[in-house]
Amino acid sequence: MSGSGIRPRHTAVTGIGVVAPNGLNADTYWKSVKDGTSVLDRITREGCEHLPLRVAGEVRGFDASALIEETFLVQTDKFTHFALAAADAALQDAGLSSTAADSPYSVGVVTAAGSGGGEFGQRELQKLWGQGSRFVGPYQSIAWFYAASTGQISIRSGFKGPCGVVASDEAGGLDAVAHAARAVDRGTDVIVVGAAEAPLAPYSGVCQLGYPELSTVEDPTRAYRPFTPAACGFVPAEGGAVLIVEDLERAQRRAAVVRAIVAGHSATFTGASHWEQSREGLAHAIRGALDEAGCAPEEIDVVFADALGVPEADRAEALALADALGPHGSRVPVTAPKTGIGRSYCGAPLLDIVAAVQAMEHGQIPPTPNVFDVCHDIDLVTATARPAELHTALILSRGLMGSNAALVLRHGPGSAV
Amino acid sequence: MTTEVTQVTVEELATLMKTAAGVTVDPGELERRADSTFAEFGLDSLGLLGIVGELENRHGRALPNDAERCKSPRAFLDLVNVALTTGA
Repeated sequence: MSGSGIRPRHTAVTGIGVVAPNGLNADTYWKSVKDGTSVLDRITREGCEHLPLRVAGEVRGFDASALIEETFLVQTDKFTHFALAAADAALQDAGLSSTAADSPYSVGVVTAAGSGGGEFGQRELQKLWGQGSRFVGPYQSIAWFYAASTGQISIRSGFKGPCGVVASDEAGGLDAVAHAARAVDRGTDVIVVGAAEAPLAPYSGVCQLGYPELSTVEDPTRAYRPFTPAACGFVPAEGGAVLIVEDLERAQRRAAVVRAIVAGHSATFTGASHWEQSREGLAHAIRGALDEAGCAPEEIDVVFADALGVPEADRAEALALADALGPHGSRVPVTAPKTGIGRSYCGAPLLDIVAAVQAMEHGQIPPTPNVFDVCHDIDLVTATARPAELHTALILSRGLMGSNAALVLRHGPGSAV
Repeated sequence: MTTEVTQVTVEELATLMKTAAGVTVDPGELERRADSTFAEFGLDSLGLLGIVGELENRHGRALPNDAERCKSPRAFLDLVNVALTTGA
């Protein structure tokens, strides 16, 4: 994080690609988010039916073979399939293709990952213990690795600019965007940045059962209800989003549509499951992000909350907003569209960024599905979208292992830069 | 074990390139361009390594280390078939 006095970032978001449980493209995603549609449902994935984890946000109807070449499919996990498809859509939205780049070295790739390729890894490990080491395919070495999506996006499009992978917990989704903005600040023209996860497979499912924050409630309408007295944990999901970020002046020179400005970011760490302490960590992150953005608390028009759904964590988040934003903390509209989608780990904050951009573009704050009786001192938007003129959005994220992050986005065309 | 000593054909290699590495190539094309590099067919080194592993499992024996370093289909088939025939 940079200190005060640093010039506000001039990093433009010019492209968006989405693969989410509630939409296989950005337009469908926004329609579902705006309408408050909940797609949480009983897990149907083969091999997961007997797990105590009952409800999740599954990406359904995603046909990887129609979107990605077979040479890439055989050597990648589903989490990379999502990322490749979202990257394609984002590049297209930005009016870019690999051939349009001035030089392959002018485009880099950054992704965040929380769990890597669990489904691919399970298949190969089953061969290892079922048949022997000689039956494990060589692509195991790259497919389940956290870095797989960054590598495959760059290989597939021929991008040779600075690449990176952020493995800093769920909040790493926001950290990745900040990392990309820094790369642009240092002179790289374009960074393809995002996160997509695929944690809904038997091995990955079992790994999550150890999280005390995981909701095991069977009713999809009751499984994930943060900020209410009935909060009982979070529901996991798969999918995510990819953004194209580039230098604002470069974007304007090529007459790209600037959809938003990445204005500020900060991250802190307060330890795994220490939700009470996350109040201080999150508040500090919010202050840092505002400081970097040169943004007063009152300028924040909407907050996309982390909304973990664990009572102590929800309380900490509401108090962190009050600590960092003062009286504005209880007045600013807060939303958490992810209650209708689930949390796709590092993909979740990316989907929140997308929703924030779309909310600013459409002048609508999307609601928080399945949540009605809020028991904290925040103005949570529920039931239906709320029309509002939105210039600046604050996106919050926390990880189960203790990371906290905040990101400030400014509306693109309306921003005075 | 009664593994019959068989030659690896161009057709079998084409099938393996598809199943192990997702590379679609017509066997006739593979035969005509047998001296082209695997890279020109879109097969990377990990893909070839997977094909070597699959052949070793099918034939129940190890292939020479050089097999996974072969640059062209002809070099690969020559080396593999000599190894399988002579038991070297």
